[in-house]
Amino acid sequence: MKPTPLTIAALIAVVVAYIRAIFFTPLEAIQGPAQKILYIHAPAAWVAFMAFGLVAITSALYLWLREDRLDRIAESSAEVGVVFTTVVLTTGPIWGKPIWGAYWTWDARLTLTLFLWFIYVAYLVMRGAVDDHAMRARYSAVLGILGALLIPFIHLSVYLFRTLHPKPILIKPSAPSMPGEMLTTLLLAFAAFTLLYVALLRARYRYAVTRDGANPAEEHRAA
Amino acid sequence: MPHNESYYYAAYAVATGIYVAYAVLLLVRWNRVKARLPGKDE
Repeated sequence: MKPTPLTIAALIAVVVAYIRAIFFTPLEAIQGPAQKILYIHAPAAWVAFMAFGLVAITSALYLWLREDRLDRIAESSAEVGVVFTTVVLTTGPIWGKPIWGAYWTWDARLTLTLFLWFIYVAYLVMRGAVDDHAMRARYSAVLGILGALLIPFIHLSVYLFRTLHPKPILIKPSAPSMPGEMLTTLLLAFAAFTLLYVALLRARYRYAVTRDGANPAEEHRAA
Repeated sequence: MPHNESYYYAAYAVATGIYVAYAVLLLVRWNRVKARLPGKDE
C-alpha cells in the first residue's frame, strides 16, 4: 500500500496540529499543561462520532440497496471509529487524574462512551464470527445502526445528567467558550484528525476490497 | 498553575502510539492479503 497524497496531507496536518498545540498555544491558567490534552481528546471524540454516524448511514443504505460496497464502508468506518474511541477512552482518563484526582469515574458521559466502544468492538468481533456473507452484512447493519443511537445521548449526557465531564466548547448553540489562540488550535486539530480519519477509512476500504478479491471462495470473510 | 506535564506528555504519547500501531497493523494485514491475491504466485 503506497502512501497517497491524502495520507501525506493527513500526516502533515496532524504534525502541524501537534506542533501548534505543543509549542504555540498558551497554557490554560487553571489546569496548566494537562489542558492541552483537549487538542487530541476532543477531535478524536468528534471523529469517532462521525465514523459511527457513517456506519449507521451506510448500514441503513445497505439494508435498502444490498450493495456490498456499502457494507465495506460500514465495516471500515466502524474499525477506524473504534481506534479513535480508544484514543478518547485513554486520553480522557490521563486528563482526569490531575484535574479530577481520579482516572475514571462512572459518570454518564464516560460510561456511555465505554458502552459505545463495547458495541463497536462487538460489531467487529461479530463480523469475524459469521461465515455467511449476506447474514453477516445484515446483522452488522442492524447493530451498526443501533450502536449509533447512543451518540446523541453521549453528546447530551452533560446536560441530561449530573456529570463531572466539562460541557461542550464548540458544538453547542452559543458561541465557542475559548480564547482565540486556543480555539484556532482546537479547530486545526479537528480538521487534521478529520483528514486522518478520511485517509485511514480509505486505506481500510481498499484493504477490504483487496481482501475480498483475494478470497473469492469465502467472499468477504472478515480478516 | 499546576505542574502536570507528565500527564500531558503521556496523553500525546499514548494517542500517537495508538494511531501508529493501527497504521502498522493495517499495513501488515494489507501485505498478507496482497500475497494471497490470485496469480500472485505465478
